[in-house]
Amino acid sequence: MKAPLLEARDLARHYRVAQGFFKPKATVKALDGVSFKLEAGRTIAVVGESGCGKSTLARQLTLIEPPTSGALLLNGKAATATPEMRRQVQMVFQNPFASLNPRKSIAATLDEPLAINTRLSKAERREKIELLAAKVGLRSEHLRRYPHMFSGGQRQRIAIARAMILQPGVVVADEPTSALDVSIQAQILNLFMDLQVEYGTGYVFISHNLSVVEHVADEVMVMYLGRAVEVGDKKRIFAMPLHPYTKALMSATPALHAADRRERIRIHGELPSPLNPPMGCAFHKRCPLATKRCAEDAPLLREVDGRQVACHEV
Amino acid sequence: MSSLLRIRNLRVRFGNFPAVDGVDLDVEPGELLGIVGESGSGKSVTMLALMGLIDAPGVVTADALEFMGEDLLQVSPARRRQLIGRDIAMVFQDALSSLNPSYTVGAQIAEVLKIHLGLRGAALERRVIELLELVEIPDPVRRASAYPHQLSGGMNQRVMIAMAIACEPKLLIADEPTTALDVTIQAQIMDLLLKLQKERGMGLVMITHDLAVIAEMAQRVAVMYGGQLVELGAVPGLFERPRHPYTEALLAAIPEHNAGMKRLNALPGIVPGAYDRPQGCLLAPRCPHVQERCRREQPALVQGVRCFFPRGLS
Repeated sequence: MKAPLLEARDLARHYRVAQGFFKPKATVKALDGVSFKLEAGRTIAVVGESGCGKSTLARQLTLIEPPTSGALLLNGKAATATPEMRRQVQMVFQNPFASLNPRKSIAATLDEPLAINTRLSKAERREKIELLAAKVGLRSEHLRRYPHMFSGGQRQRIAIARAMILQPGVVVADEPTSALDVSIQAQILNLFMDLQVEYGTGYVFISHNLSVVEHVADEVMVMYLGRAVEVGDKKRIFAMPLHPYTKALMSATPALHAADRRERIRIHGELPSPLNPPMGCAFHKRCPLATKRCAEDAPLLREVDGRQVACHEV
Repeated sequence: MSSLLRIRNLRVRFGNFPAVDGVDLDVEPGELLGIVGESGSGKSVTMLALMGLIDAPGVVTADALEFMGEDLLQVSPARRRQLIGRDIAMVFQDALSSLNPSYTVGAQIAEVLKIHLGLRGAALERRVIELLELVEIPDPVRRASAYPHQLSGGMNQRVMIAMAIACEPKLLIADEPTTALDVTIQAQIMDLLLKLQKERGMGLVMITHDLAVIAEMAQRVAVMYGGQLVELGAVPGLFERPRHPYTEALLAAIPEHNAGMKRLNALPGIVPGAYDRPQGCLLAPRCPHVQERCRREQPALVQGVRCFFPRGLS
C-alpha cells in the first residue's frame, strides 16, 4: 500500500514557560498527542477555539518547530527540517497584511522560493511566475507592484501563489479567509479548490468557521485544549456530531435560515488555561453531560459510528 | 411616537472620497437594526459620524441627524458630550485596543459613572461591581482591579459592554462586537446583548459582516454598499427574498448556500475605491444583471431597494 502524503502519529508539542523569578518553569501541553493521515488531493480541516492548539499543529506540520514527541511522516519518510522536506510543505497565513514583505515587489516575493530551491534560469523562473500569477487571478502588470497596492483578497491570492509556486505536496492554510469579507472569501475558497484539482495538493485547512469547513473539507478534526475530541468524515460529523463540544460549536454558529438552526447547547465559561488544565476530560467543566467519571479519567479516542470520538458519554 | 434616531441624507467625505453617500435611516426605541456590508461599504463610518468621532479631514453633513428630536450637528459641544456616552453608547470591535492598558478595567468603568452620573465613593464602587455582574463576569470584585491584558478577549468585550451600558443608554451601537471572538464566546456575548436590549428596551444597532448573526437577531436590516444603503427590509423576509442584486450575491457567497456544490457563487471584483467610483449604479461593474441604464444613471432608494431592476419581481 502506498504511504499517505502526510501522516502525524501522536504528535505532541510542549512548551516550558517561566512563571516568575523564583518559581519553577511550568509545562504547557499546547499539542498533546494528535494523529491523522492526509492523502493527496484531499483536505483535512482542523477546527477549534483559540488556544486549542490549531496553530501549534500548523507549526509542527510545516517543520517550523520540531515536535516534542511523536512522528511526522511525509510520503512515508520521517520529516526533518531539511530543504527537500520543506519544499514539500508550504503555508498560507491568516493575515495577508502581515505575511507579505512590504519592501518586495510581487515578482520578487514569488521569485524567492524558486531562486533558493530550484536551478531554473531567470527566464524560466519568470515564465513560471507569470503562469501561476495568471492562475490565481493576477495580471502580469501586478507583478511589478508592492503589497500595499493590493486589497486583502488580492494579497491572499499572492500569498497562495507564493505557497504554490514550488508545487508542494501539502499546503497548510491557517485561517486563510477569516480576515476577508464573504464575497471575497468565496473567491479565495474557489481558488483553493481549483488549485487542488489542478495540482492534487493535500490541504490542512485550519479554521474556526464551520460553514467554511463544511464546504472545503473531506475530513474534520475537532480539537480542544491540545487534543482531538472528534475526528472523521465531514459528512458524518456534520450530519450528526457526537462529542458534546462539537455539538456546542455547531449550535453556537449562527445560521441564516430558521430551518438550519440547531438546538442551542449552551456552554458557559471559556477555554481553561493550558498551564493548569482540569483533571480528567479537559472539557468537563463546561460540558453539559459531564459526570463524576469525566472529572477523574481522561477519555481516549475510540471508534463510534464511523468516526473517532473522545468522550465517555457517547 | 417619534423615532429614537432619525438620519436624513448623511454624507461623510474624506477629500474627494464619499465614505457615506446620502444615508437615510431610522431607529425606533427598543428596535434591533442590523447593518451589513463588506469592508469599505461605510457601515462603521455612518455610526462614527453619529457619535461625532469623525476627525478632520473628514467632513460630515446631513439634512438631519436627530437623536430624540435633538439635532446632533447643531447642539453645542458640551451638550453633545453629555449625550454621547450617556444616552448613546458604542461598543467597538477590538476590545483590547479600545481599552486603556494603563488603567484597571474597574477604573475605566468608574470614569463613565463619575463623569455622566456624578457617582462617588462607595456608591461608585458598588455600581462598578454591579455592572460587572450584569455582564456575567465571574468573580467581579477581583476582576475590577485587573488590567485589560490580564483578561481574555471575551472578558474584555464584556467590560466594553459594561462601560457602554453603565448609564443605561437609550441607543447602543455595537460595531462588530464579536468578530474577534470564537463562536462559543460569540454566542455568549450575543445572548448577553439581546438580554440587555430586551430588559432595558434599548435601541440596538448591530454592525457586522456576518449575515447569519443578523438573521438570528435583528428585526430589520440595512444593507450598505459603497457608502449607500442599497436595501432596507425586515428579517427574515430580506434573507428569504433579497431584491437587490448585491444582497442576493452576498447571500449566495455564503458557504451555507452552496451545500453540495464544488464552487461557491463568488461576486467578482471588490468595493469601488476613491479612484474607480462608477458613474451610474455603484454595483454596475460587479453586477451579473447589469443593463445599459445602470451604467449611466444612479438609481434611488425606492421602496427599500436601490436598483432599476430589482430581483424577484418578474
